[in-house]
Amino acid sequence: MLLPEPMSRVLVVGTKQRLPDTIDILYSLENVHIIDFPADVEGFSLGSPMDAASDASGKLLKLRSVEKDLNIDEKEQVEQVPISKIENNLDATIAELESEVKDTIELRHAKQAQLADLEDKLVQLEPFTSIPLGLEMYRGYTSLKVMAGNIRTNPDSALSEVMSGHYELFTSEKGTFIVLFVSTKQAEEAQRILGQNGFVQVSIPEGEGIPQTIGAALENDIAAVKREIGEINDKIAELSDRHASMVLASDEHLSIKVEKAELPLRMGASAHSFILEAWIPTDSYDQLDQALTAKFGDAVHFELLENRGRADDEASVEESADDETDVADEAPLSLGEETPVKLEHGRNAGHFEFFTKLLSTPRYNEVDPTITVAIFFPMFFGLMVGDVGYGIPFVVLGFLGLRMCTSKDWRAIATMLFYGGIWSIFFGLFLFGDMMGIEFTAPAGHAAGLVPGWETPTWATLLGIDIPHTLFSIGNFDVNLGYYTKLGSVEPLLYMSLWIGIAHLLTGLALGFYNVAIRHGLKQAIMEKLSWILIMVGFACLLPVAIDILIRGHDIDFTNPLLMTGIGLFAVGVIMALGGVGGMAIVELPEVMSNVLSYTRLIAVGMSKAGMALAFNYISLGMIVGIGMENMDPTTNIVMLISALLIFTVGHLAIFILAILSAGLHGIRLQYVELFKKFYEGGGLEFNPLKIKRRYTVEE
Amino acid sequence: MVEMASGLIAIAASVAVGVTGLASAIAEKDIGSAAIGAMAENEKLFGKGLILTVIPETIVIFGLVVAILLWLSM
Repeated sequence: MLLPEPMSRVLVVGTKQRLPDTIDILYSLENVHIIDFPADVEGFSLGSPMDAASDASGKLLKLRSVEKDLNIDEKEQVEQVPISKIENNLDATIAELESEVKDTIELRHAKQAQLADLEDKLVQLEPFTSIPLGLEMYRGYTSLKVMAGNIRTNPDSALSEVMSGHYELFTSEKGTFIVLFVSTKQAEEAQRILGQNGFVQVSIPEGEGIPQTIGAALENDIAAVKREIGEINDKIAELSDRHASMVLASDEHLSIKVEKAELPLRMGASAHSFILEAWIPTDSYDQLDQALTAKFGDAVHFELLENRGRADDEASVEESADDETDVADEAPLSLGEETPVKLEHGRNAGHFEFFTKLLSTPRYNEVDPTITVAIFFPMFFGLMVGDVGYGIPFVVLGFLGLRMCTSKDWRAIATMLFYGGIWSIFFGLFLFGDMMGIEFTAPAGHAAGLVPGWETPTWATLLGIDIPHTLFSIGNFDVNLGYYTKLGSVEPLLYMSLWIGIAHLLTGLALGFYNVAIRHGLKQAIMEKLSWILIMVGFACLLPVAIDILIRGHDIDFTNPLLMTGIGLFAVGVIMALGGVGGMAIVELPEVMSNVLSYTRLIAVGMSKAGMALAFNYISLGMIVGIGMENMDPTTNIVMLISALLIFTVGHLAIFILAILSAGLHGIRLQYVELFKKFYEGGGLEFNPLKIKRRYTVEE
Repeated sequence: MVEMASGLIAIAASVAVGVTGLASAIAEKDIGSAAIGAMAENEKLFGKGLILTVIPETIVIFGLVVAILLWLSM
């Protein structure tokens, strides 16, 4: 539960004929983490892909190109295809698809090229439609030069000045396009004048006839080609619909085949045999053993190399050496890969793995902090929100998220919101007794409201019902609707938050003690972590004394047993820490105080929420039940009511959204920074077993 | 002069919160932009980036505690 699942390193050796079946078994267990075989082990080379790989990848390549041509979307929901059907029809399907799709796609390419060509021609022709000349008139002269193109300013006056009328100029209606006919002798001169007027020549389209007529014909052609392309697209869509499930299923099937066939790349191989090392969870050792024995009898060699212990050094090898003496002697292949970490949790705590992995994967030999996150994060979140009115929407939001989201990350966040909401309802009901920043009821003898001068009504007065302050009693203990108000009793709440901090940090230190103990032994753990536990307990003893002296202004009383115990524990702890971790201990000492003070944010965040809620409530409720309302006319009353409700809604929505951000961030921060630093190292290797995920295919 | 004294306390409290808030903001600004930069290269650094970014928040928490202590002594 606390530590990642125990792992064993196993060795599988066999002849190459057995390889395909072995791989199938390894995949079917879904619990085998292959260790990549190093390339430089004497006598072995890396395995090469099985023959099936090249065939399957060839087919896969064809399929993928069809997929791309047909625009088959990965996420499309299609029926699942049984594998036998794929196996039987694969070649035929690929051949059929290839011919059918290839022809259609080629046709579409051709048509698209034709369309582009036609459109080009039309664009080229377009300016000439405003010149009243047939296209044949533009060419075939020996002594005349024709210039056509766009121009900025009309060159007519300049031309007539220089060329004295020996030219013919056509201008489009807008005056931006001209066609000029001049004698070849004067062409250069004309060119110069045109150049001064910003002339850019265009080529004259081929063909004969009036440009308008040609243009109309071109437009008809374009429409026809577009129609054809549309038909082809329809056909492609139809092909895509018809073949999608088969194509996706075949793709998946072949991908799996390729993946399996390429697995030998991660193994070692000699001429006729393979060798592979893998990590498996210790308790599935028997399962693998049985599966291999059932299939091959003794033909494939399978042995346990070690049951990995938690110590940091390689002492654990000795354990396995007791029953497998030959292993210790040879120890030829210690691939030295880090032990992968498989976290095991129940359904609820499992969601919180997200928050652990957000930071980093735990190491094999340390406590998996997920469970502490699962306990403390929602609790801290709830304490910071601490309001029934926000807690209920959080629960609803979390519930909906769990119902509707499929993504693992969102499910994790939804779980957190759900439990965080439950905690905030709990704290809202029993600790603070408020909803939307409004108290349920004022305890007898207390004025309603949170801060003097800012009295707001309670739910009891607002709704005009009688809400009992004390719900029931257990023995002499009254269970009240709220003991403290967030803004009214800051001092005891802050004090409480410090104690929560100390408890939280002590949890962290205890886990740290355990971590060091399993890694380096009890002695090291005592020096390294117990010292800090003593310092923390000493600090806890000093805390009430310090508050007495600093805040309540009492004198120092050296006979106070708490003070003396605190100083004693603190001193012993510091000496042990100096012995354990050296001078760094002194540097880290102030951290004890700053860590504990950091937990005051539990109350501070709640206070800021309560302060904002108070402001919004003061405005909106003041408008509703405010004084002087009875003198206003009814219309003003309704306008006031609506705007009051609007302020109330918008204000509380803003607080709610801010609560997710601030309570969420501060809640997770207290885990990551304060708690985790006491024991967590992280940076482990995630357990990544061979596994096949089928979406489009089913095994029979 | 009681009024004057409590006014000064209130100002002191606001300075305690305000200045430490600014200090955390300046520190977080630098760390935050660096963290985003690191995340752009490797998304897995989000968790570490978040931690580093919120570390200076302790400054403003201290400021707040001091301010509350002042406020309680008003």
